[in-house]
Amino acid sequence: MKLFKNAVVGFAVMHYKPVMLLTILFTLGTGAFLPLVTLDTDPENMLERDEPVRVFHNETKQRFNLSDIVVLGVINNRDPDGVFNPTTLKRIYTLTEFAKTLRWQDAKHPGRSVGVIEVDMIAPSMVDHMSQHDPGTIQFEWLMNRPPETRQEARAVRDRALSNPLLTGRMVSEDGKAVCMYLPLTDKLLSYRVYTALRKKIAELGGDEEYHITGLPVAEGAVGVEMFTQMGTASPLAMVVIFGLLLLFFRKWIVIALPMIIAAVSIISSMGLMIACGFPVHILSSMLPIFLMSIAMVDSVHVLSEFFDAYTQEKGRTQTIKEVMDTLFAPMLYTSLTTAAGFLSLTLAPIPPARIFGIFLSTGVMIAWGVTVMLVPAYIMLIPEKKLEHFGLSAQEQEKQTWLTRTLAAMGALTYKHAKAVLGLLAIVVAVSVWGITQIRVNDNYAKRFSHSHPIRKADVALNSHFGGTYTAYLILEGKNHTKATYRDVLKIKRDLTRFSREIRKEHPGAPSLAAKLGETLSYNAFKNNTFEGFLDSTMHAIEKTAADAPDKDYYALQELKNFFGLEKEKRKLFKRPEVVEYMADVQDHLEKRGLIGKSNSVADVVCKVNQELTDGRPENFRIPDTLQAVAECYLQYQQSHRPNDLWHLVTPDYMQANIQMHFPTGDSMNTKAVVEAVDVYFNNNAPPAAMNHRWAGLHYINLALEDRLVRGFLKSFAGSFMIVFIMMSFLFRSPLWGGLCMVPLSITLLMIYGIVGIIGKDYDLPIAVLSALSIGMAVDFAIHFLERSRTAYRATGSWKETVPQMFGGPARAISRNVLVIAIGFLPLLVASLVPYKTTGIMLFMILFCSGLITLVALPAALTIAETWFFKKSRKQKKEQGHSFR
Amino acid sequence: MKKVMFALVWGILAGTGFAGAASSAPTADKIAHKADHMAFYQGMDAKGKIELVITDKQGRTRQRVFNMLRKDSDESKSDQKFFCFFQTPADVRKMVFMVHKHAEREKDDDRWLYMPGLDLVKRIAAGDKRTSFVGSDFLYEDISGRSPAEDIHELIKTTDRWYILKNIPKKPGDVEFAYYIAYIDTKTFLPMKMEFFKKGDRCYRIIESVKLIPVQTEENGTRVIYPTIAVSVARDLESGSTTKMTRSNMQYNVGLGDQIFTERYLRRPPRDAMR
Repeated sequence: MKLFKNAVVGFAVMHYKPVMLLTILFTLGTGAFLPLVTLDTDPENMLERDEPVRVFHNETKQRFNLSDIVVLGVINNRDPDGVFNPTTLKRIYTLTEFAKTLRWQDAKHPGRSVGVIEVDMIAPSMVDHMSQHDPGTIQFEWLMNRPPETRQEARAVRDRALSNPLLTGRMVSEDGKAVCMYLPLTDKLLSYRVYTALRKKIAELGGDEEYHITGLPVAEGAVGVEMFTQMGTASPLAMVVIFGLLLLFFRKWIVIALPMIIAAVSIISSMGLMIACGFPVHILSSMLPIFLMSIAMVDSVHVLSEFFDAYTQEKGRTQTIKEVMDTLFAPMLYTSLTTAAGFLSLTLAPIPPARIFGIFLSTGVMIAWGVTVMLVPAYIMLIPEKKLEHFGLSAQEQEKQTWLTRTLAAMGALTYKHAKAVLGLLAIVVAVSVWGITQIRVNDNYAKRFSHSHPIRKADVALNSHFGGTYTAYLILEGKNHTKATYRDVLKIKRDLTRFSREIRKEHPGAPSLAAKLGETLSYNAFKNNTFEGFLDSTMHAIEKTAADAPDKDYYALQELKNFFGLEKEKRKLFKRPEVVEYMADVQDHLEKRGLIGKSNSVADVVCKVNQELTDGRPENFRIPDTLQAVAECYLQYQQSHRPNDLWHLVTPDYMQANIQMHFPTGDSMNTKAVVEAVDVYFNNNAPPAAMNHRWAGLHYINLALEDRLVRGFLKSFAGSFMIVFIMMSFLFRSPLWGGLCMVPLSITLLMIYGIVGIIGKDYDLPIAVLSALSIGMAVDFAIHFLERSRTAYRATGSWKETVPQMFGGPARAISRNVLVIAIGFLPLLVASLVPYKTTGIMLFMILFCSGLITLVALPAALTIAETWFFKKSRKQKKEQGHSFR
Repeated sequence: MKKVMFALVWGILAGTGFAGAASSAPTADKIAHKADHMAFYQGMDAKGKIELVITDKQGRTRQRVFNMLRKDSDESKSDQKFFCFFQTPADVRKMVFMVHKHAEREKDDDRWLYMPGLDLVKRIAAGDKRTSFVGSDFLYEDISGRSPAEDIHELIKTTDRWYILKNIPKKPGDVEFAYYIAYIDTKTFLPMKMEFFKKGDRCYRIIESVKLIPVQTEENGTRVIYPTIAVSVARDLESGSTTKMTRSNMQYNVGLGDQIFTERYLRRPPRDAMR
């Protein structure tokens, strides 16, 4: 170690010019890749591409032709008729027409266009209305062909819309005060573009109405876009704040330019490397600069702090820097290694962007270390001795006169005199924190990423108070059929065929004998065909062949028999069967009545509504008819509209899979979780009338799945990080006891911070989960410095009592300066309007500040109490004048 | 294959003297009326089986088969009656859709629907005819015909093969298109292609006649040949869905009785409609 250190420092001091040049070249070389940056703002990419949840979500989107949707809400609280007055409806119409035009050339596929999918848009002027015209007459028409001219007509539009349960609570609010338009997109990544275009258009409209734009793609898109822009303002601000703090501590801009240079070198080169390796910059990686900004400076601040304290003009810069590097080389290396290892533990999380973030963050840390040990000596050598006049503690003022030194000295005395009290107090803090942690509630909500004043947050609140919910998840039911017709199937069909042929005997006297003849061929036919459908098809084919040449009386009888088999085929299409559709209605009813969801839509609603209108329009006929044929007729009538493809969002054309669209009035993931569990329980307690699977899809569900992966993933990487750092510390101090002690301040800090999270009722969400793993490597640094310097000092003094004042001199000063610089360095994140940035800023500030403070309080107190225990070896060695370390 | 088929049709048509009809340059209105006649009014009545195969963007298909009977009104040649009797899928078999079409612009068509499963006969209120026909990409109006009187016709180009008509609706608020371009065959006067445009000249829907067949029949005791569209395809460019309509067993002037096209027959369709 000593050899390595001397070689490095010696080289840096001797060849400072080439070192300087090399650093510049390295930075420029890696920085050259920065312009090639690509951004990835899609939170879905937090999941692996082959993650089953994600794969199924995408399959579902394709199967049911579903798109991600931008929700545009219009509320009118001033007009007595709400939005259903001619002026507001005219504006809604104008917006609808405008939304149709939001199409752009597809950059990837020239000639094709992307944007809002007009045919799937839902808006008052774009949906159908089915109603009773006169008794016995049914009417199919547009709900609002054109904006109405009188108030009466406008109210009629409202009444028509409210008569349709598929629209109530979805497109039109039950109080008639609000209307929502749903704009499906070809790609959710276009949401921000659509969002900005709509906002511009709305600004032109004027009027009393409130307009709100929301929907998960919008929220996700906005988080993506705004994170990057806010990072752009927060990072420079952090730089300014840190610069100011350093200036306060060291007073010489030429010296403090150094940490800034190191930060710049490590940020530019690690970002450059990441881009050069072909990785897009994900939302998570966008935080890389602000993390590296403060971390990269830590080492150089230690060096500067020490240099500042030790420098005297007599000693000169060469001698001083050599001394300083001698003291700090090992702690710097180890703190860098632990920080890097802590970040590297992110690779344990099954989250691709977190891995990339972890890898390049730790790369950045090690680059910063390399640059510090190489460049700092070189840089100091480049400063003319003249410029260092009046630099250093000795030159500036007497040690005892600064507030920092005074406070630290007092703190040192306190920890020694009242060690037990200090430790007792910490024990109470720990106990309360543990209780607090048990109170933690895991919950995430995309809307809550925005501050209360953000338009997306406001939209979320406003629209979800009027509607069944703007968050949608899909409960997918997948029917299962056995493929080959069994002997029992054939027997049953034969029996049913015979019964059927007798039923039609009056009209077709020949039917029973024809059926009997047909029955004889069935077993062979079933055996011959590999699928049930094939068996039915070939039977029908055979009947058709016989019928072609048959006399009229047999022809019509055979047609009936053929249709019998045709119906058997249709019966296998699960979601045409009344009992299955009824079951879906029951599931929806169960969830809605328990208040778990705001609203749901499925083919059950379609069938009920169509049945009601086809029959007589009376409310009691809003029900599922009793026969397969009647259900099929409802389906067919529903397709005879301006929007024949709407049905296929709810059921696949083979009627084997159905989609219950669940709308949630809140984005809270714990609510989604409750619904998922309630559905499982329901399916367990109430067996479906036919074999089927149930699975979930939809962006809103993806977020729940994502949260689950992330919370567990980060817990894993937290545990991993903790273990790695502990092992490294035990190795560094050649003692698991010391390693354990080193982990104490940070453990207390994390317990405390997460205890507070639990106690104040802040949801344990994604940003908070990420930070637990990230902070370990950073927070342990102070303890390493403190313990390492304590051991060194103890070896000189041989008594803890004498060591304390020494420790609360230079070393404590260096630690405090560092704590302040990096902790406060994260505070500029508070100016960001996005909540995750605020959370990150405040959490990191707290974690770093507390772990610094606790290091300076808990460790000396513990060493005071257990001096003999910890310094057994050192005492012995003191006698032998040996060195345990370095 | 298509070309051979065309050649064959033309050969027959030339033989019957039909092709001669196109010699003098007609006006846009005349072309439109003639095309309407050829597509919907050949013979006094007609009968055939129609199969619709709907293929969605993902290639998943659905099938509908129905028998269609048509009879022109005795008094006024432009009024017509249609009777569609569904065969497939099995669960909607015996469903009937009946239309009494009135060619006068001010008079709405009468439409009926019989649903055997629900055991209901319903009249469909007059109104929008531009809704999907049984979930296909053809609209009701494509099946029963859009009266030439609804549009203003403009002959924008004449080529060897086509009269190209631009048709602008007289009541643009009633339809979803801004205009449509029809390619009328110069020899048969059958519409071979119709492209529907929305505002901003955006084509969103195309109907093409992809196969014509000559159907032999008798008209007032003499043998004639009616060129008939056997296969046409409607494509919805917005949804990516396509419907192929195939007519088979086409017969003209079979002597269908008027009583078939009455409400009474919806529940018990005549055997004419079934075989």
